[in-house]
Parts: sequence; C-alpha cells; structure tokens
Amino acid sequence: MSAGQLRTAAEPKPVPAALQNPDAAAQSRNSDRRQRNSRLFYWLCILIACLSVLVLGVLLLSIGVQGGHRLTPTLLTSAHSELNPEVAGMWPSIVGSFFVLLVCAAFAIPLGIATAVFLEEFQPKSAWLNMARGFIQLNIANLAGVPSIVYGLLGLSAFVYMFNVFGQIQVNESTAWVIAGEQRFYQVRSLETGQIVLIPQSDPTQSKITITGPIRGVDAAGNPVDIEVWEPGTPRPTDSEIKRRTVRLGATGGAYSERSWYFFRLPLGPSFLAGGLTLGLVILPIVIISSQESLRAVSPALREASSGLGATTWQTVRFVSLPVAVPGILTGVILAMGRAIGEAAPVLIVLGAAISKDSGPQNLMDNVVTMPLLIFDWAGRQQATFQELAAAAIIVLLVALLLLNGAAIYLRQKMQQA
Amino acid sequence: MLPVTETVKDSMASTSSNTPPAAVPPPSRPGETTIEITNFNAWYGDFQALHDLSLSIPKHRVTAFIGPSGCGKSTLLKWINRMNDIVPSATARGTLRLGGLDILSPGTDVVRLRRQIGIVFQKPNPFPKSIYDNVAFGPRLHMKLTKEQLDELVQWSLEKAAVWDEVKNRLHAPALGLSGGQQQRLCIARAIAVGPEVLLMDEPCSALDPASTLAIEDLIFELRQQYTIVMVTHNMQQASRCSDQTAFFFNGKLIEAGDTEDIFTKPREKQTDDYVRGRFG
Repeated sequence: MSAGQLRTAAEPKPVPAALQNPDAAAQSRNSDRRQRNSRLFYWLCILIACLSVLVLGVLLLSIGVQGGHRLTPTLLTSAHSELNPEVAGMWPSIVGSFFVLLVCAAFAIPLGIATAVFLEEFQPKSAWLNMARGFIQLNIANLAGVPSIVYGLLGLSAFVYMFNVFGQIQVNESTAWVIAGEQRFYQVRSLETGQIVLIPQSDPTQSKITITGPIRGVDAAGNPVDIEVWEPGTPRPTDSEIKRRTVRLGATGGAYSERSWYFFRLPLGPSFLAGGLTLGLVILPIVIISSQESLRAVSPALREASSGLGATTWQTVRFVSLPVAVPGILTGVILAMGRAIGEAAPVLIVLGAAISKDSGPQNLMDNVVTMPLLIFDWAGRQQATFQELAAAAIIVLLVALLLLNGAAIYLRQKMQQA
Repeated sequence: MLPVTETVKDSMASTSSNTPPAAVPPPSRPGETTIEITNFNAWYGDFQALHDLSLSIPKHRVTAFIGPSGCGKSTLLKWINRMNDIVPSATARGTLRLGGLDILSPGTDVVRLRRQIGIVFQKPNPFPKSIYDNVAFGPRLHMKLTKEQLDELVQWSLEKAAVWDEVKNRLHAPALGLSGGQQQRLCIARAIAVGPEVLLMDEPCSALDPASTLAIEDLIFELRQQYTIVMVTHNMQQASRCSDQTAFFFNGKLIEAGDTEDIFTKPREKQTDDYVRGRFG
C-alpha cells in the first residue's frame, strides 16, 4: 500500500450537503406522510379481503333466505316429483353424485399419481421416452385450462359411444357387447289372465318373437318350463297350472331384459361409469399437477440417501418420496374432488338430465342424476317452489363441499404430525 | 416401554458388538487393493471435470481426497458408486474396478453396487421416520429378515456407528429430533446396515460442530478395521488426523497421492506443498 493512499484515508471527506443541517420538521413531515400511506394501504388490503368474503356472505345469505325453509328431511330422503314440488327431494341425486365421484376417484387418483411419479421421479434413459415426457408435461399444462364442457363432448364419444367400435345401444335392438350380468327374454302372454311366460332370447338383434310351436321357457321364478301351445278352435285347457304355461299359437312377444347389479356392456352408454370417467378426465390434470408439486417438494437429499443404500427407483418412490409427499398429494386430490362434485356441464352432456330417477343406480350401466344436474333443472323451472328447492339443494351441495375440504385439511394436519 | 427396545436389550447380553449379525458379510483380509481406478475421465456436458487419473484405493484403509472446491474430488467419489447416474449430463470414460467388477460397465447392477459401496453425504439426511426405521430401511430393501434378526442388525449397526448408547431408549422417536452429529452417525449406521465393503464419505463433517466432528473422526478410524473408507474433505487437519492415504486433486487432475504422512510432510509436488501449507485454496 502506498503512502499517498494512507494519507487520503486519514483525511475524512466532507459530509455531503444533503446530510448537513438536517431539517427536523421536514423529516418528520416526510415520515408522517409515509406512515399515513402505509396505514392507508393496510386498510385497503383489509377492505379488499373483506369484499371477497362479503360477496360469498351475500351469496350464502340470499341462498339461505330463499331455500332455508325447504331444508327439511323430505328434501334429503325423497325423490324428485314433477307434480307435487312440496314432496320433491334430492336423495337419488345424492346417491348418484356419490357413485359418480367414486368412479371418478378410482379412475383419476391412481392414474394421476402414477403420471406424476413418471414425470418427476423417473429419468427416462432413452431419448424417445424423454421426448414423450416433455410432450406429456406440455399437454397436461394445457389440459388443465380446457373448459369442462369440452371434456363432456370427449366423454360422450370416448365412453358413452366408444366411437361405436363396440356397436350401438338402442332401445329394443342392441348391438352393444354385453360382457356380464344381462339375461334377455321375450315376454309372451299366457292363457291365464295377467300372467306371462319368459322365453330366453337367443338372437339379440331379433326384438320380437312369434310362437309357432312348443318351446322351452322359464317361469317367473326362473325355473325352466315346457311351454305348451293352444291352437284357437281346439278346446282350451282349463287347469290354471297348465294355463299358466300355455300360450296361443301365433302369439307375439317383445324383448325384455333382466339385469344384475354387475351388468356390464360396451360401449358404456349414458351410465354413471361413463359420467365418473368423464369427470375423472376433468380433474386428472389437477391431480397430476398437484401431485407433481408435492413430489418436487421432497428434498433430493432423501432420494440420494435412498439410492445410496441401494434402493431401486421404485423402492425410492414407494418408501421415501411418496410417503413424504402424501399430505400434499391428498390435499390436491380432495380439492380436485371438490371441483368434480360441482361440475354440471360435462355430466349433463354425458348423462343427460335423468332427474326423474327415483333411486340411485341399480346396475353398473344405470343412469344417475347428480346434485348439480338437479339444481340446474330445478332452478330453471317456473314454479317458485322448485326455485326454493334449488336453493336448498345448493346448501346441501355446499355442505358436501365443505365436508370434503374439511377432510382435506384434517388429513393434511394429521399426516404432517406423523 | 417400547417392545423392540426390550428385545434388543435382551439380545444385547448374548451378542457381542464386534461380531456382525449373520446378515452382514464377513470382513475381508486387509492389505489388498479394493478399488482400482485407471485412466479415468469425467465430464459434465462439455466440461471435463476429471483428466486421465489413475489411483488404487487400499482395502481397510482410509483414503482422503483433498483439494480446492471444484477440483473434481466429489465427482470421482460419486462415480465410484455411480451416484452420478442421476445427473443427466454426467459422462465418464476409463476404468473403475471393485475387485472383478467393472463399475462403469452399463451392465453393472447399480443396486447391488451401491449395496457394496455405501455413501454418507455432506449434510445428514435421515428419512423423516423413526431412528429404528432409518437403520432398518436398507436391510428391508435387500433382505427378508425376521423381527429378531432385524432388531439385532439395527442394534449392531448403531453400536458400530457409536450412537447406540444415545438412542437406545428412543429407537422409535423421529430421527429428525436428533442433533446434527447424532444424525450423521445415524446415517453412517444406516449405510453399514446393508453390509457394504466400501464407505464413501462426502465431507461427512463439514455441516457439524467440532465436538461432533471429533466423534465422527474417531468413528472413521474405528470403522476402517472392517471397511474401506474413501473420504472427501476440505479440512486438511482432518485428512492428516484420520486418513492413511491422501490424494491431492487440482483443476480436475490428480496431482499427487501417497501415504498421508508423506503428503503432509514431504510432498513431491510444489502445488501439493503450497496447498497443504495453506498458501492457496
């Protein structure tokens, strides 16, 4: 270090003019002004926060005033009634929403988490897989922004009609592939008044039968019986037991099917399975993205520790990454379910508005009505009673949502403690 | 009282802490080479991190890698058990041999390799599980053990890592509740519970206080009776205190390797001399 530099350091520079003779009054004014701005901004923030809550409050209040008095046990236990709104209820739609959500969860959760694990945890070795990974990532980001009604149209062609590759579903004749659970019969009137015989249907495309001779059939209990034929002009049998299993020559019968709860066919048709799968598509991007975020938040040090002990990638995912990420994944999943429970548009396209259903699904291919569909239908009716019912149903839907979100918060707290 | 602690206590009387449980392979004879490195080069993308180095790592000795930051010592360490596989841009050429096994060969089973060559990281990284589950994690991945065998193995590993006495009464407490030094010894216990031959340590004490550092150094000195240890350190005193062989790296090249005493007292290269005397780095 040179002597010149040392000397300069020893002589302090004069204090800049801005710092000389401080004007105490001006400084205090300045300070006051800035403090005031700060307080103003603070109250502005509170006001805006209150405003958003206020909007929600007004909404709840107006719905409560409108539909509160319709919130009766009848609403929860009975079915829709066209003629008498006083006894109309939403029980079938609650059951329907439950089943649709069940299918939606069973479809979207495993698929979504598995996709997130592929995108976050596996480094693809080949260039091809790496490209696929980038492509999927890009698409998921885009899919999350697609309007849900578009998913409804997708679900209609992919699940309800399955692009008609499995044939078509019609009322009496059907070319759909029945996999299990359906028995088709022709029902023909017997000679005993009010009684029918059932004849198993061998050709599903034949919607009618004409009796030309004795044939094997089944009785109402399902036991096989020999069906006799009575030719008009000949003496009529008189014994009731025989009349029960005798039909007139030339009698015709229409097709009739008996379906077990596990009745399954392709295409799925407007069934709650198709509805659930469509809703699954709607929430899949949300599940994937939230699972990805949770997996990304897992410290890489833990993954290193695991693979350093000789764990395979799968073992690392199964025993280290997923357990740490589960609270976050779960939160995302339940919030996504909250979105699914309130979706009306895609369900309306896929299932139609079968609001006159008086029960939940009877078999896997049964149509259902969901809560948003019922609300949509009721709110559009002219009778004031139905509009009040719609408001009451909205309250029920909001409570269901609240329960779901509450469960999400509770589970997250519980899992983070463990 | 926790049931596992009870069984472990019972078995304590019968098991001497020096005999490893049946699940751990018996130690090999000292005096041979464990890892042979020949003409090894490594890259991150276009950047060459290591240039043509050859080194043999003796069995049941502590080998220290020293050198300034970015000189490639951690890169070499992470190639020894292929931890660099995770880094997409990392490539290597040359030969790394563990006995008859070609470590870099694409056909090498990295899962088995990492069981043979364990690694302890710079920052203690216990899993957010109990102490017991941390140590049992590795054995559960590789072996089917009865509860008694597992208890025995966990106790043996924790004793070996000199942390048993501090944790024996709270084996099922969360591992993250331990102090940093205890966590690091737990990580060492976790690494030896799968029965490795070689332990790689990437600056194992740099995140610890002096007292914990001392405990880990003592432990390393103990462990070399059964394990070949390769340690990266920034701390020259540490290298001189607890290693048998030292390798000095600079700018991706191996400048000098030899007995620790020689490296620190009469180095052949001037760069080594400057570095160990603290003139740079």
